[in-house]
Amino acid sequence: MKTRHVKHLRLLSAALISCGLSAAPALAAGEVIAAFTKNQVDPHFEGVRAGVEQMAKKMNATIRQYVPTKPNNITEGMSQLEDVGVTRPNLVLFMPIDPKAQLPTIKRLIESGTPVLNYNDKAGDAPYLAFVGQDDYKLGYDIAKMLFDHLGGKGNVVILEGIKGSNTGDERKRGFDAALKEYPNIKLLASQPANFQRLLGLQVMENLIQQHSEINGVIAAADASALGAAEALKAAGRGNVAVVSINGVPEAVEAVKNGGLLAIAEFNGFKIGCVATEIGLKAIRGEAMPKRVVIPGAIITKANHSEWLVPFQQRTCPAAADYAGH
Amino acid sequence: MTTMDSPAPVIRRPQQLAPGTVAVVVRLGLIACIAVLLSSLSPTFATTDNLLNILRQASLLFLVASGLTLVIIAGGLDLSIGANLTLCACLSAAAIKATSQPTAGIAVALGCGVLVGLTNGVLINRVKIPPFLATFGMLWVAQGIAYWFMAGQVVYGFSPAFRFFGSGFWLGVPVPIWVMLVTGACGVIFLSRTTIGREVYLMGANEAAAVLSGIPVARRRTLLYMVSGLMAGLAALIYVARLNAAEPGIGEPLLLPAIAAVLVGGTSLFGGSGGLFRTLLGATILTLIVNALNLLNVSATWHPFVTGAIVVLAVLADAAVNRGARR
Repeated sequence: MKTRHVKHLRLLSAALISCGLSAAPALAAGEVIAAFTKNQVDPHFEGVRAGVEQMAKKMNATIRQYVPTKPNNITEGMSQLEDVGVTRPNLVLFMPIDPKAQLPTIKRLIESGTPVLNYNDKAGDAPYLAFVGQDDYKLGYDIAKMLFDHLGGKGNVVILEGIKGSNTGDERKRGFDAALKEYPNIKLLASQPANFQRLLGLQVMENLIQQHSEINGVIAAADASALGAAEALKAAGRGNVAVVSINGVPEAVEAVKNGGLLAIAEFNGFKIGCVATEIGLKAIRGEAMPKRVVIPGAIITKANHSEWLVPFQQRTCPAAADYAGH
Repeated sequence: MTTMDSPAPVIRRPQQLAPGTVAVVVRLGLIACIAVLLSSLSPTFATTDNLLNILRQASLLFLVASGLTLVIIAGGLDLSIGANLTLCACLSAAAIKATSQPTAGIAVALGCGVLVGLTNGVLINRVKIPPFLATFGMLWVAQGIAYWFMAGQVVYGFSPAFRFFGSGFWLGVPVPIWVMLVTGACGVIFLSRTTIGREVYLMGANEAAAVLSGIPVARRRTLLYMVSGLMAGLAALIYVARLNAAEPGIGEPLLLPAIAAVLVGGTSLFGGSGGLFRTLLGATILTLIVNALNLLNVSATWHPFVTGAIVVLAVLADAAVNRGARR
């Protein structure tokens, strides 16, 4: 009990000092970080939170997690941002649910003196400390190319898109399309939305199986849709169709191991969480930090999958310096 | 006031029959139109395989919407079905994993569904919270428990014996379709042939009259919410068995389509009229739309628009025909 009070006092004094001495860049350890994620449903964000927690602990800061109770709920996301405007943490790690709607609030927050780092997906143009994330376009391009090469440069493929209008979904789709242009003998049979969901992935695939008697490959914008599609293909006796996706949550990596999926382009929430926290903290502690860090995504296949089977809590954060050149 | 109102349901019954039949005919017509259009555009549409495929997809939606239909006919609303499905799916998946007994999972799913329904009933009857708010609250509670229980993880990989409920076939027809037909038939008989079933309509049409006629309205209402919960639990089992996984985000996207299936089917949101066969038609129409968009490879940009337009059309057609019938 007593220690908790001491901890609170310490936090409070740190907060007071930071308010009073906002001109002085160097801060003692013990900062409060508000970390935003979009939902408690997708294991990807579980990875982000685990990465943020680990790095914060290592660097002696305290984390307050902000997650809407309803997945990707913009109203809740907005009120949580307003909450942060009142509680004034030392650092905000922010990923948008709706970039356009949230940008004005974020700008106000930064103007009022709270440093904000944008991570995971781009949140529009504002004076952020930095952006830390991955290149969705490149992930889409790389995984599509990998599949096309696997098919020997010819065959029929199907795309299961993400949510139309979401930055992540649209960028990945743009990557798929760019790769398609380079392979004239790959025929795109259909490109339909599966909204990153498992059930839709299954049902859309079932429908496409009806329409097309020869499908050689499936590109899904996210693991859940890919797993649903693989389920549909297996049930239809077409388990030999090569399915690829983007993310790399443990369940999907296990499917890569068992041959259910061919490969996954790594979209690694854990690494993003680690690096964002390190860069953010170092920046507010006065170190010069890069403004933009894009973490490259590996292609996860049967040959190298074991690294991604380790549960998030047991992984070790990479150092931000490893990605400085990217 | 009450003396004027109370005979109303008695007079209403013969009048209701006509628009009811009309509603069903309008929907069958709509399905026929889409079917004819599709089979001319896509040779694969009218194959047995694809029709079974559509019905199998519709069955999940129907199961979630079936209990809701009863609740809506009785003048209530159950917004907790999606979250209830999530919770039941997660708990039962964990139970199967822990015991490797499919029966344990089935018991947990159905029990969980009924319990959530019972809580809804108690909140509405005893605490006197309006159905919208009570079930809206339960939505968050059930969802919250599921989040806490799963902690961002996915439970996956089940035995073939359990998966038979979702992905198996019996006499060449997928098991979920059998489940839909059996529960649907039971529901139709319950609504049209039993006293309690007829009382459900009266409760929705005129609750005051129902109370005056000596119907134990509160108890009946609780029963209906429990049935709605039970169906969510059953749908959860089918879902897990079909997709071989349970995650805390599965039920949420099913709530609005389930309400849409009930309304597109032609059951009135104001209570007192409607039926389960109509919900089956509603679920089929909604599934058919997605099937059509996929088969014709319509761009993702247009999916929400087309779905919305057909939902509005179905309701408009209903209203127009009803107006015509009344003249």
